[in-house]
Amino acid sequence: MAITKPTRRRFIASSAALGAVATFGPYMSFAQAQSGNSLTVRFYGALDSLDPGYNVGGSPDNDVLWAINPALVHFGKKDGQLTYRPTAYVESITERDPTHIDFTLKPGFQWTNGFGELTAEDVAYSYDRMSTSEWKGFFEAFETVEVKDKYSGTIVMKTPFAPFIVSTLSSGTGVILSQKATESVGGKFTTDMPATCGPYLYEWKQKQWVKLRPNPEWTGPKPAYDNIDCIFITEDTAAALAYEAGEVEVTKIVPQTYARYKESPPPDSKLEVAGALQYMWMGMNTENPKLKDMKVREAIQYAIDRDAVVQGAYGGTVEPSYGVVCPGLVGKRDQSQYSYDPEKARALLAEAGVSGLELTLRTLNNQERVLTAQIIQANLADVGITVKVIPLDSGPFWEMGQESKGDTWKDLELWIMRYGAGTDPYEPFQWFKRDQVGIWNWERWSDDEFEELYQKGISVTDPDERNQIYIRMQEIMEQTGAYVWLAHEPEVYVHRASVDVDFAPSGEMQLLYFKPAG
Amino acid sequence: MPIYFAKRIGLSIIIVLIAVLILFSLLHLMPGDPASIALGPRATPEIQQKYIEKMHLDEPVFVQFLIFTGNVLRGDLGIDVFSERSVGATVAEQLPYTLSLCLAAMGWAALLGIPLGCFSAVRSNSLLDRFTGVFSVGTIAVPSFLVSVWSILVFSVMLRWLPAVGAGDAGDIGDQLVHLILPAFAVGLGWVGYLARMVRASMLEVMGENYIRSARAFGLRQNTVVYRYALKVAILPTITLIGIGFGGLLSSAVFAEIIFSRPGLGRVIYDMVLSRNFPVIQGSVMVMIFLYVLVTLFADLVVAWLDPRVRDSL
Repeated sequence: MAITKPTRRRFIASSAALGAVATFGPYMSFAQAQSGNSLTVRFYGALDSLDPGYNVGGSPDNDVLWAINPALVHFGKKDGQLTYRPTAYVESITERDPTHIDFTLKPGFQWTNGFGELTAEDVAYSYDRMSTSEWKGFFEAFETVEVKDKYSGTIVMKTPFAPFIVSTLSSGTGVILSQKATESVGGKFTTDMPATCGPYLYEWKQKQWVKLRPNPEWTGPKPAYDNIDCIFITEDTAAALAYEAGEVEVTKIVPQTYARYKESPPPDSKLEVAGALQYMWMGMNTENPKLKDMKVREAIQYAIDRDAVVQGAYGGTVEPSYGVVCPGLVGKRDQSQYSYDPEKARALLAEAGVSGLELTLRTLNNQERVLTAQIIQANLADVGITVKVIPLDSGPFWEMGQESKGDTWKDLELWIMRYGAGTDPYEPFQWFKRDQVGIWNWERWSDDEFEELYQKGISVTDPDERNQIYIRMQEIMEQTGAYVWLAHEPEVYVHRASVDVDFAPSGEMQLLYFKPAG
Repeated sequence: MPIYFAKRIGLSIIIVLIAVLILFSLLHLMPGDPASIALGPRATPEIQQKYIEKMHLDEPVFVQFLIFTGNVLRGDLGIDVFSERSVGATVAEQLPYTLSLCLAAMGWAALLGIPLGCFSAVRSNSLLDRFTGVFSVGTIAVPSFLVSVWSILVFSVMLRWLPAVGAGDAGDIGDQLVHLILPAFAVGLGWVGYLARMVRASMLEVMGENYIRSARAFGLRQNTVVYRYALKVAILPTITLIGIGFGGLLSSAVFAEIIFSRPGLGRVIYDMVLSRNFPVIQGSVMVMIFLYVLVTLFADLVVAWLDPRVRDSL
């Protein structure tokens, strides 16, 4: 065996190598998410504002707010249907009648920074403040909170508003603030909350992470995880790679990743559909000369193969749509009044005396929408309609049907649109009312029965009656010939099988209900 | 030298002003109504109006430009319209991450690329020279975002040696260095090739000079001739290249910051462009432009200091 003679150069090189191992050695295999009583999850956006009245809403603001601040109710599910669950702060919450909700708080929950105990006055202050905030639309039917004593009160509504508890109080808009603390900072704040009162305290570093740590003053039930680290990863591919590398245990994924994971999931992982509160359709401008004839619009409805879109553009990861009411909500339809039938489409075009029709189809320029547009283009070519696809950036896209933004709405013919819905079926319909023509009702139609049913749907509380109302409203929409329903895109998460997850239907994480599986 | 210094600084100020004017115009030529894009299509008219007032979007564009320039001169880069944080604070928080990434990337690229270029020049047309040629062109050709993804797949997903995302815990230098390895590798790899080719070409030219022949005639060792006499002159165009290339590095850093989810100015700009958060975009790009001009200026001054002939060329 040859023995290498030690030299000064070799000695320096060896020392450097040993130094490097000593420095980096402890880190070289650390690229793993935390274990034990800690959890690492991914946030896909930065923390903009934790003020429920003035934030953009959604994730991650709501994810953090629910973990650090009180609310009367949080989202829940019962028999596959969306409902609400009273939180740990609440002794009782009862809908006395359609305009009165009684609540009683549990005593002993302390605000941080010495701002005292959580009281019914805080509830009253928070909801009054919301009713004049940027989210006041959610509180239009809200009148006031009558405080009975330190811990109990009654929420009084101006008019019956069925979705108030599930839609308004369960989401970020229902978060309660400390009156004293909020007033101490002049009534407004952004990411530095003047006081919190939840199982977790939070620290954050802009664009990097939010750390949730146990609140030593918390007297309620202890959440399953002591520490939750939330890492900001904006890019979806990077998030999937970070999950596969073991650096995060829960992350939201996009349809392409969902399709890949359905085929071959990462080891020790589960896929979870948090909700599918999005509805996508192809719209038609009923006032455009080329589409004014109802028969032409009907022909287009029959010519488009929805299943081909679901499979071709989304790899079967989305649910086919039959209207604007999303899965899990009252009023969801299981079929539409038309189906893919190119023969019938040709016959309707012939009946209308239309041949050689040329149309434009506008869409946002992301991969799935453009693929959807191409499938529709092929479907319509099959019945003799030539379609020119126009992909657009979000700026011009969101303006094209609005009269206040220029004249593009006059040239609008076909477009692919996706809206996000709330947790109550009334929400999607508001964009198709008469007063929305030229704003968000780009199909430009109106109907008296639809208007009446809209008002009725808000005030009625019986689920069966609401179901009938919303099904009928979707029939009316469909009979205008202006809609080809396409799909409901889901909010999908991948997570370690060792973690039991809990999501809001709108896709946010209800982190305080996460727990180890089994 | 002082005259050259003054002229060069004056030119830099003009460049900064022109760049800011172009940036400002481009931002306002972007299609779409900034208020509805920033706040989402469902924002109420009241919220949109508030945003418009806050951003001075109801003022003529030249007034907006004057407001912005005036604020910048007072050291005020504006306020983030969503978080209401000072843009200056955001930039100050993010800039060190971008700088450390760029310096680490350029640092390791220079440490490998310059000796590689010398080695190739000294042994020009040998098999090893050809191999380093192919290697250099290969590293230049591979886009840095692809290197980023592949390096994560290999070192994080498969081997699990290095972290895939983040910048490490604040205050823990070791953790931060480990988090820097993959991004710096991805951003710097292309520069190994650039620098090697550049140094090789310069060295070949310099090695034919009379003073090198004289040095050899005096019996100096090969390493002394190459590293002490030839490289000192051959490195000049490389210094300029590094200065100019720093701007390119800042753009490559955007990809790395997004893919590795590192904080940094590039990622901030990317996120804010998507949400049309004009004050943050303007402030961050402004700092980037200033930085770019500063590095180029520094490189030019170093070259002028090393080579007096350059001082008369401006």
